[in-house]
Amino acid sequence: MTIILNGTLYELGDPAMIGHLLTSLDIVPERVAVMVNDRIVPKEERNSTVLNEGDRVEVLIFMGGG
Amino acid sequence: MAGVIPSYLDPTPWIPAARGASPADVRRALDSSQPGEADLAALLSTCAADCLEEMAGRARALTRRHFGQTLSLYIPLYLSDYCSGGCVYCGFAADRKQARHRLKPEEMIAELDAIKAMGFDEILLLTGERTSPEDLDYLNRAVQFAAQRFAAVTIEAFPMRAEEYRGLVQSGAMGVTVYQETYEPIQYEAMHRWGLKRDYANRIETPARALEGGMRTVGLGALLGLSDPLFDVISLFRHALYLRRRFWQSGVSISFPRVCSQEGGYHPPFPVNDRTLAQIIFAFRICMPDVPLVLSTREAPAFRDGMAGLGVNKMSIASRTTVGGYLTPVKSPDGQFHVNDDRDVATFCALLKGKGLEPVFKNWDKVYR
Amino acid sequence: MNVVQKLILGGREFESRLIMGTGKFASTEIMIDAIQASGTQLVTVALRRFNRERPSDDLLSPLVKLGITLIPNTSGARTAAEAVRAAMLGRELSGSSFVKVEIHPNPHHLMPDPIETYEASRELAKAGFVVLPYMSADPVLARRLEDAGCAAVMPLGSAIGTGNGLSTADMIKLIIADSGIPVIVDAGLRSPSEAASAMEMGCSAVLVNSAIAAAGHPADMAAAFATAVKAGLAARRAGIMSRSECAVATSPLTSFLTGA
Repeated sequence: MTIILNGTLYELGDPAMIGHLLTSLDIVPERVAVMVNDRIVPKEERNSTVLNEGDRVEVLIFMGGG
Repeated sequence: MAGVIPSYLDPTPWIPAARGASPADVRRALDSSQPGEADLAALLSTCAADCLEEMAGRARALTRRHFGQTLSLYIPLYLSDYCSGGCVYCGFAADRKQARHRLKPEEMIAELDAIKAMGFDEILLLTGERTSPEDLDYLNRAVQFAAQRFAAVTIEAFPMRAEEYRGLVQSGAMGVTVYQETYEPIQYEAMHRWGLKRDYANRIETPARALEGGMRTVGLGALLGLSDPLFDVISLFRHALYLRRRFWQSGVSISFPRVCSQEGGYHPPFPVNDRTLAQIIFAFRICMPDVPLVLSTREAPAFRDGMAGLGVNKMSIASRTTVGGYLTPVKSPDGQFHVNDDRDVATFCALLKGKGLEPVFKNWDKVYR
Repeated sequence: MNVVQKLILGGREFESRLIMGTGKFASTEIMIDAIQASGTQLVTVALRRFNRERPSDDLLSPLVKLGITLIPNTSGARTAAEAVRAAMLGRELSGSSFVKVEIHPNPHHLMPDPIETYEASRELAKAGFVVLPYMSADPVLARRLEDAGCAAVMPLGSAIGTGNGLSTADMIKLIIADSGIPVIVDAGLRSPSEAASAMEMGCSAVLVNSAIAAAGHPADMAAAFATAVKAGLAARRAGIMSRSECAVATSPLTSFLTGA
């Protein structure tokens, strides 16, 4: 299954929950915020939210800023 | 039972400072870039009275900076001297025996036209305490007539609810003047012998209700002489601060009416002499540089002429304090108070120009309303 | 106001009046050193897409370890709707309800959009955020933002990164005079003396980023700013003497007053 992750195409085995995606990216879940199709997916829903073909996923962290 | 002064007005913490200020305190107050209550207290002290000339200089510089070299002029019109109130100090109190008058609509119009012909563009409409439910309709009518002729219409009448003020705004009123008379609750109760005006808390909240109702400006004041001036002036200052912070889109102006002993009339327990009144006005200008400070024709010509531009930037002239009185000006018995300055507009304007002050009749245009 | 108030944001009192931005540092290590040297308790952070190639960009854990409160900013948003979404993401990520509403559509001068900022701030305040809006030093806008429920206002001293100091000082003084909430100067401060000046003027805190990040030794500069902010606050508490102004009349102004 192909999703659009942070603006670029990304292959993911399906079915996939957000949790699987984060594992495949080697991300510590507490460090990121996730949006799917413009909706924020809270941490507690990540293991129950299924990703679908073509979903736009944003994975965000904090960086330096003023 | 007497009211209680709200904590946001209570001047008590600063009164010892006003009584015991040293020359160093006065100097610090004069040098402060953001004067507050403590500085006002120091400038009201007997110690500061020795620096009157310097205070006058500061007051003049600040008045010039904020208002230019101008003096605004307005005129009062008493619509009616019917009053249900019992204020001990007032010529219109209900137990005074003179005949009462109320202008009929056609008389109102004639008076307004006469005043307009004198050159004024700001008018203050006055009535006494509410005597009947029709009083509000009457006042709205008067405001509508006045608003057709004058750029600025303000009211000094009975305290109302915010919705009632809103109605007057729609009729064309821009501001409300309401003096607390005295902020000291026990004296307040003693001065107001009966009726609605006895309600201290209601009176104190009146300016806020007027602003809530959409009035653009409120005029505050205390009747100097009723109580210790330190108490009233510091409360007045705090009241102005409170209203300016809460209603940041509105204007506040301050008047300094002084109760003088009158033959057969009321004798105030804390009479304020000329030097003290001048000191009060200078201190207020120094501590609140950007509000209009107002003197009426209650004060004598020499005092008014001296104070014009020294802190004071707004005055009435050619006033009548009887009902109407402009259509056929005649010497008549005193109205609400004795008019001490009975010069006409032209004479006063010439005096102001001689002092380097431009008389200003209009500060507003209603174009966008 | 004459009274020097505590700095209370979101119901919490903060001792340090120096808030730091975390952008433009040469490395995360240098940034952390500077933060520690500054004694700050509040820092702003921005949101960015996770980059697999640079996992150490993540600031969350190093800052959390320092016990610092994060203020996610909405930098990058160009509209109120985008800023609200950024704030929600920031809250989701940090767990903190602080947000710096920062909406600057022009990428050159980075001046804040007052209309989008007001709308975003109002919506976020209603949603329970502790809203700190970055704004031009406009006294009327400051009161509007206060009325809309913001926890503080953050007027700029001068445009971001210019280091032009407190060019808006007169406006900031007007804001301070009318404000019932903390006024925090943000952007444009170049040197510690300017931070001290802002505190003497009556600001409750200052936010400094470029001046520290771009300094020769950021940690030392952060410490210098901290000292300056403390000095400015202490001076204000001590009661600053100021220039007096007096017009000297050629003839006495008060000769018309009689003794009685």
